[in-house]
Amino acid sequence: MNRRTVVFAQSLLVLALFVSPSFAADEETLKKDLTAVIALQGLPCGEVIEVTVQAESDFAVTCKDANKYRVYLNAAGRVVIDKPK
Amino acid sequence: MPKPAASQPVASEPASKPVTRPAPQAARAPLTPPSVKTPVSPAAPKDAAPVKTTPKPVAQAVAASPAAPAPTAAPTLDLKALTARLKATKAIGVFTKISLKNKVDDLMQRFTEHYQGKKPPIAELRLSYDLLMMKVLSLLQDEDEALASAVISSREALWALLADEKTFAALQS
Repeated sequence: MNRRTVVFAQSLLVLALFVSPSFAADEETLKKDLTAVIALQGLPCGEVIEVTVQAESDFAVTCKDANKYRVYLNAAGRVVIDKPK
Repeated sequence: MPKPAASQPVASEPASKPVTRPAPQAARAPLTPPSVKTPVSPAAPKDAAPVKTTPKPVAQAVAASPAAPAPTAAPTLDLKALTARLKATKAIGVFTKISLKNKVDDLMQRFTEHYQGKKPPIAELRLSYDLLMMKVLSLLQDEDEALASAVISSREALWALLADEKTFAALQS
């Protein structure tokens, strides 16, 4: 392995160390946001523990109490929460 | 369609007037004490000297004038300023803000219906308004205390705008 490859690999490692916490922070922010949205609608959840992005502004969420919801922004600009059956 | 479901329990209750009257007061009561305490407690050490003059009411009134700027740390916001600050705050996430705006729009629609002579009585609207304010405050109080205090101090002024048909019409236009 030549020196350039080693330097490149080190750079990638450093980059990964900085970038992954940023993604994690974004995900935590999103979870917190969706938790608040569900709570605002008065639906049981506790805390969002898992989020899957289905489309832009369309999320499938799993709550700590095992409830699952689809949270999305409809065409009228309203946040809608559906409980999948 | 969770929204109508959320508003239905409120809509079903206020059929009798005597019941609806105390309800807003009860909803207001738990909010007011923290609102007063939160901004005052940090300001209290600065105003320690005027507190010593409290035995005489006249002296208190005089001493209160220099102390008066302290409560203005949480100034009353008008609707535009409040909207702008709520949009700007980082304490509330984007989807929560949209959801809150939906709720504000729903409440405004109910006020419109009220002034058109339709169903929701003013006591019911007051209850909905208080609940919405509590939701906003619960979102703000931990991460944007300044805005939470400002919202608390603006609550009655904002309600006055909504509860008056003329000012409400002006808001809508």
